[in-house]
Amino acid sequence: MVEQLIANLRGFIPEVSLAVTFCVALVAGLIVKKHQQEFISVLALVGTLIAGVFVLIYADQSQTLFSGMIVADPFATYFKVVITLCSIIIILFSQYSSEVQQTVKRMGEYYALLVAMTLGMFLMVGATNLLMMVLAIELTSLTSYILSGYTKEATDSSEASLKYIIYGALSTGLMLYGISILFGLTGATDMFGVNQALAAGPVNAIALLIASILIIAGFGYKISAVPFHFWTPDVYEGAPVTITAFLSVASKAAGFAVMIRFFKVCFIDSNVVGLPAGMWASLQGFEWNNLVAILAVLTMTLGNLVAVWQDNMKRLLAYSSIAHAGYMLMGVVVLSDKGVAAVLIYFAVYLFMNLGAFYCVMLVANKLGSEHIDSYKGLGHRAPLLSTAMVVFFISLAGLPPTAGFIGKLYLFAALLDAQWVWLAVIGALNSVVSLYYYVRVVRNMFLRDPEGSAEPVALPVAQVVILLALVIPTLVLGLYFGPLVDFANASVVMFGLP
Amino acid sequence: MLTEFGKILIFLILGAVFVAGGLVTSWILRPKRPYPEKLSSYECGEEPVGNAWVRFNVRFYVIALVFLIFDVEVVFLFPWALVYRELGLFAFLEMAVFLIILLVGLAYVWVKGDLDWDKPKPEIPMLKRSVNLVQPKEVQEPTPV
Repeated sequence: MVEQLIANLRGFIPEVSLAVTFCVALVAGLIVKKHQQEFISVLALVGTLIAGVFVLIYADQSQTLFSGMIVADPFATYFKVVITLCSIIIILFSQYSSEVQQTVKRMGEYYALLVAMTLGMFLMVGATNLLMMVLAIELTSLTSYILSGYTKEATDSSEASLKYIIYGALSTGLMLYGISILFGLTGATDMFGVNQALAAGPVNAIALLIASILIIAGFGYKISAVPFHFWTPDVYEGAPVTITAFLSVASKAAGFAVMIRFFKVCFIDSNVVGLPAGMWASLQGFEWNNLVAILAVLTMTLGNLVAVWQDNMKRLLAYSSIAHAGYMLMGVVVLSDKGVAAVLIYFAVYLFMNLGAFYCVMLVANKLGSEHIDSYKGLGHRAPLLSTAMVVFFISLAGLPPTAGFIGKLYLFAALLDAQWVWLAVIGALNSVVSLYYYVRVVRNMFLRDPEGSAEPVALPVAQVVILLALVIPTLVLGLYFGPLVDFANASVVMFGLP
Repeated sequence: MLTEFGKILIFLILGAVFVAGGLVTSWILRPKRPYPEKLSSYECGEEPVGNAWVRFNVRFYVIALVFLIFDVEVVFLFPWALVYRELGLFAFLEMAVFLIILLVGLAYVWVKGDLDWDKPKPEIPMLKRSVNLVQPKEVQEPTPV
């Protein structure tokens, strides 16, 4: 038994190194002097990098750990890579965020919690036991509640945190209730056990439907899908920009990972053969993907239509990220190998473009002290490089070539059409058109309007320009040379224990 | 035939009936001679001081949290001590890691000053926020409970 535990620990090294980093960063925050607090960010960065290296070293393993609690497989590895990249970029962002840098005394907590959140997401993407899944989601949520209220002297930050907790508690409660019904129906908390029980014989269809809806509420909250999105704009606006960016990418990625794994492992019918490659049948004739399709349509339509009316950049990007969750849900609807690969590709792309957009908003807020869309007037003349980068990110978010966003959407729509979901693809395409309007609105303000008030140039330090370029270049390059990314995603749709 | 959940339902119903039955029976049988001392709430024999619905000092929460952590630690230590002989060094290291993680928590609480009941006046850094900045109000001395 002990040997087995130790063997399991080997597949768990990335998580262990994150846990160690958490403790070290917390203690360092207590010991290190006020003016040396950058040291903690270096610690957090190194710890996250080490975790990332271990993820890559053990990339090819596919095994179950700790008596079926979590698995390490290519699917989890892909998401771990995305999440690690995201948290490294966020730690770098935090160096230049005036909001975070003003709270010198609590810097240790900030980085420690950031690492703990990464750990929670690592556990989320691998969880194959329903209880482990809930625990991992809770670890991620609790840390994000604290971090979104990190600048606690600003009232809207505390408000964001409180709203986040209330919605989070409600949706976790709903999800647990759903899981308890599912447990009552199948007698298993292990996802593979649930699958076997559903395959063994028919269960009460209505109870199964209710359980699924309740569990989807939990996932929907994590990925901010309509109608579980109400917290998103307020939290995104009130939280420090770095945390907003982290929530909008990494937390969403982990939510999608756990959702895809849940549906695929629980409801796949492995006895049905003869389907086209990559497709699969649902158990008990339970058409859960209709539910997700409705969710996708609601999410992207509401996200895009409401974003049109936003004047605060963080709120605008919040609704835009809701809309993007809607696009990615279309991939979950299909859930063929192509659909999952499309979601994976989209996340890699979304990582760079969305973080880039938030980074630009942060830099502008640092310099101009405002996140209002009017203060972007004439910015194109005052800060040409920053504005051009922002245009690239927005074009990419809108999904126009030659940027990476186009590739992400292309694969999503291809997967949809491949699986005969034409009407959904049409709605998705219409939504992209709507989204173009509010992205262009910002661009128009930057380049076609004269500056109000001060018109002096806004200079950026070299280090900030380097980070900006590190985000712009992948956004452009992945739009033209995306072969390796697509190959990596296609290889990563393999889940442990599934054919 | 009852399912497993059916038995639980019967258990719940019986429990409710038992409690309600006890209350109703004593309500019927007992003599009713109320006077003010009898009607006041019971505070371990002391004269009640004020309302029970007061705002408690928020530091009770931190104390409760710290207590809980070390309480749970002991719960884990007992079964560990039972199987220690069989597992040997591995068990020792495992528990050492667990305790070190808990110690980090203790150190954190200590340094942050949450173990002192008379906490010095909280230092509130003034944060300049880019948007919707609302300056924090004057910090009031927390009223001791």
